[in-house]
Amino acid sequence: MSKSRLIKTGLVLAAFAVVPAVLVGFDKGYYYQIATLAAIFMLLAASLHLVTGVAGLLQLGHAAFYGVGAYVAAILGADHGVGFTVGLPLAGLSAAAIAFLVALPTMRLMSIYFAVATLAIGQMLYLVFLNWVDLTNGPNGVMLFSGINLFGIEIESDLGIYYVVAAVVAVSILVLNRLSHSYYGNALRSLREDDQCASAMGINVTVMKIQAFVISSFFAGIAGALWAYTTGYISPNDFHFSQSILILTMVVVGGLGSLPGVLIGALLLILLPEALRSVGDIRNIIVGLVMFGSILFLPKGLFGEVSALNFARRLLGANWSNDEGQKGIGWK
Amino acid sequence: MLDPYILQQLAIGLSLGMIYALMAIGFTLIFGVLNVVNFAHGEIYTIGAFAGLMVISVFGPPLLVVLFIALATGALAGFGLERLAFRPFRRFSDEASLKSRAMREATLMSSLAMSIIAREAMEMIFGSQFQSVDLAYLINKPIGIGPITIVNGDLIIFGITVVMLGGLQWLLKKSPVGLSIRAVSNNALGAKYCGINTDRTIIITFVIGSAMGALAGILVGLYYGAIFPSMGFTPGIKAFVAMVMGGLSSIPGAVISAIILGLSESLSTSFMSSVWSDMVAYAFLLLTLIFFPQGLFGARRERV
Amino acid sequence: MKLTRRTAIAIAVTAALTPAAAFAEETVKIGYQLPLTGNTAQYGQDFKDAAEIALTKFNASGALPVPVEIIYEDSRSDAKEGVTIARKFVDDDGIVGVLGDFTSTVSMAAAQVYKKAGMAQLSQTASHPDFAKISKWQFRNITTQDQEGSVNAQWMLDQGIKKVAVIAEQTDWGQSVVKGFVEPFEAAGGEIVYTEFFNRGLADFRPIITKLENNTPDAVYTGFFYEDGGQFLKQMKQLDAGIPVYSTSAAYNDKLIELAGDASEGLFLTATFLPTRMDANVQEFVGEWSKTHDAAPGQFPAQAYDAVNIMLSAVVKAYPEITRESLRDALAETTDFPGVTGNTSFDENGEPLKELTKASVSNGMFVEVQ
Repeated sequence: MSKSRLIKTGLVLAAFAVVPAVLVGFDKGYYYQIATLAAIFMLLAASLHLVTGVAGLLQLGHAAFYGVGAYVAAILGADHGVGFTVGLPLAGLSAAAIAFLVALPTMRLMSIYFAVATLAIGQMLYLVFLNWVDLTNGPNGVMLFSGINLFGIEIESDLGIYYVVAAVVAVSILVLNRLSHSYYGNALRSLREDDQCASAMGINVTVMKIQAFVISSFFAGIAGALWAYTTGYISPNDFHFSQSILILTMVVVGGLGSLPGVLIGALLLILLPEALRSVGDIRNIIVGLVMFGSILFLPKGLFGEVSALNFARRLLGANWSNDEGQKGIGWK
Repeated sequence: MLDPYILQQLAIGLSLGMIYALMAIGFTLIFGVLNVVNFAHGEIYTIGAFAGLMVISVFGPPLLVVLFIALATGALAGFGLERLAFRPFRRFSDEASLKSRAMREATLMSSLAMSIIAREAMEMIFGSQFQSVDLAYLINKPIGIGPITIVNGDLIIFGITVVMLGGLQWLLKKSPVGLSIRAVSNNALGAKYCGINTDRTIIITFVIGSAMGALAGILVGLYYGAIFPSMGFTPGIKAFVAMVMGGLSSIPGAVISAIILGLSESLSTSFMSSVWSDMVAYAFLLLTLIFFPQGLFGARRERV
Repeated sequence: MKLTRRTAIAIAVTAALTPAAAFAEETVKIGYQLPLTGNTAQYGQDFKDAAEIALTKFNASGALPVPVEIIYEDSRSDAKEGVTIARKFVDDDGIVGVLGDFTSTVSMAAAQVYKKAGMAQLSQTASHPDFAKISKWQFRNITTQDQEGSVNAQWMLDQGIKKVAVIAEQTDWGQSVVKGFVEPFEAAGGEIVYTEFFNRGLADFRPIITKLENNTPDAVYTGFFYEDGGQFLKQMKQLDAGIPVYSTSAAYNDKLIELAGDASEGLFLTATFLPTRMDANVQEFVGEWSKTHDAAPGQFPAQAYDAVNIMLSAVVKAYPEITRESLRDALAETTDFPGVTGNTSFDENGEPLKELTKASVSNGMFVEVQ
């Protein structure tokens, strides 16, 4: 127990003390920007992880839900004066609502068919961002003048913005972590491994899948809102198919089904291109090579699922307890 | 008598459809028939176009030679792709690994990684702009038929699509190679137990499918006169849609769906702004998936 | 190229080792964010080449006792990267002004950073209607479409053209092309019979062309870059449409003629830069450019060349007390800067005022129309 608490405290300290201290030490906007960006993409990867890694539904349109969140936050902020505290949850809820609508008809599709359906949905939403000029301002994008306003306090300093983003992301990841490393998460894992079997065990497969998809999109929407509030200007290009692929790559490189791995993967794919800036034009080839190498040599990802599960169990102090009767028999 | 305007739009739709079909054939062979998720097919298509372009600008041989060289390059690229991105993930051939999702996703991601590397490398070498093509090689000489205009490329592409489709159908249905391809796609392990060399079969499928993809690339490149490193993305998506609509494993189904797709895209321009025309493809895709999960022409198939 | 990269790294390292040495430093540093990889890399590479020509000439001229250095960063036309680069430039106390980005969307995302930090940003191409209005720190030297559209509208009316179809790419720029043309054209009594947008990189324009023909316009006004332009013109000819095409300076590039061949004959467009013009500075630029390129420079490299020179002349004006503030003021004072794309002045919003030339394609070359 004490060891797990140590790790937990360590992580929180890292996010809220060590990183900010380093940032303040360097005092460079560039590092703040990268830290914020990395936090946003960690949330995106973690949210995709729930649906693709844990529930095993290959989702190729994640960036579109990220976009829905960003657009809702930006349009509400720019045209209706809705601030951060209201806009952020609304962005998440809107993304979740759209996810729910598209999930209803598509959720019974099997593996690759489902992946293709999400690709189509992602592309359709992108076309809406780009072409529904009256609503989204089309290719001109939306400029958001209000920054992050927390209960009447305007947060302007880089450090303040970092803290807000880090807090939102940390809470979201905590929720996602609890979801994926719980009986609920195990029920989702059982869908991934064999949904017929899971169904025979009394798990309502379709409802579970829809829940996972909606929750995942909710957090993608939150990430989108964070992007909109921190950048101040969004345009359809930010939510192109290539971003979906980027997020998926983070999940796969990090390790399908492993939340810590996915977070490391996100960090790696944001930091690596930046670190390689000085090598110039070939940096994206190197990113491709790293991706290929990690699939080839680390087929389970940087931090594989089994070790991740053990890690999480230690961390949460949630070892399987078969002896406690009811508790050991899976998800209600 | 139909309005010449509608006739012309139909003709354009048909030629668009043939172009999608050309791409969809090779794609369906690898993706649908062999049941291997391959994201690098679009790059094979681009490589074919660039190979043809280089031959044209260096030697300037007759068109037929250009096409053959593109075909050969595609075959080589397909072989290389299989070697690099697919073979390493077939290390284990026990039933559990063959069925495991992680394995399939590994090849999905490795082919995606390959496609990123190939595209970025081409952008570095050639630049990302449209390459200049010797205008004499373009297959877009207009031919007037009554009130409508088509180009010679339409006839060439039509001819090649028919030959490809017929050849593949014969190959898959009649030849021993085709039988082994179908056997491997149906049950790789079972095929192996029956004495089929699965590795060789998979390589052959990749070589044939990629050669066809590369041929499609150079043909479409010359048809539009537009050859550039990211040219494979949009046709790749359209071929994907056609394949799914056709029912994944059916090549004739994919061709027919591609033509339906082309016709609807061209006609849709009459009713709405062209910026929405991509919506047609995606809407088709979703509707097919929801209402005809087996595809419009697909044979019954176990869940993939 | 290798040499500059190495020096750039060397400078970055020096800057990191000696923080806050803005005035003590020997060189004056300018940041340039542009797409050097990705889908729009061809434009970014051209900008870089043009900027190098301008910079080499400037440093050789000895207008300043200290050399000027340009630091290039690759944005891939991705807003995410653009913002990161902007933060990076702002951090470097040695950097006093910034050029770029290429697309409006990236330029605008980065502009939010420059606005906050107070750094002058001069984009050679950002054409979003609101770009220069973001703050007093944003400038651009590309002609606005309000200006270009009304010149084209008047030109067409002079030719007796009353019914026009308008086609433009679905980007912020394409939107402003349509708006900039339609308003003056309709105000002067013209009629717009068909308006259409297309997604950039569209392979097949034929459905649009067929529909366009069906509306029987006297001419087509188009907002496209040279690649889409080449495709459009080829397919116009293929379908034997026989409708005159008017376009903007963005289509002005020799590559357009190379890609479209005969089909480009008779294209009318407005331009601010003609490499065939005999002015000394134009010929000097074209001469330097031709040493490393096969084709003559198009509109965009010329824009970049001018943007760099405008920035450099502002640096000279602000020297020796160069701060971000003083450089911005020097930029704002730019009047009648004699560039290769004509004379440039900035109005109070940081918008350029330029003179436009009418041109058309004849015998495989762009020629000035008198």
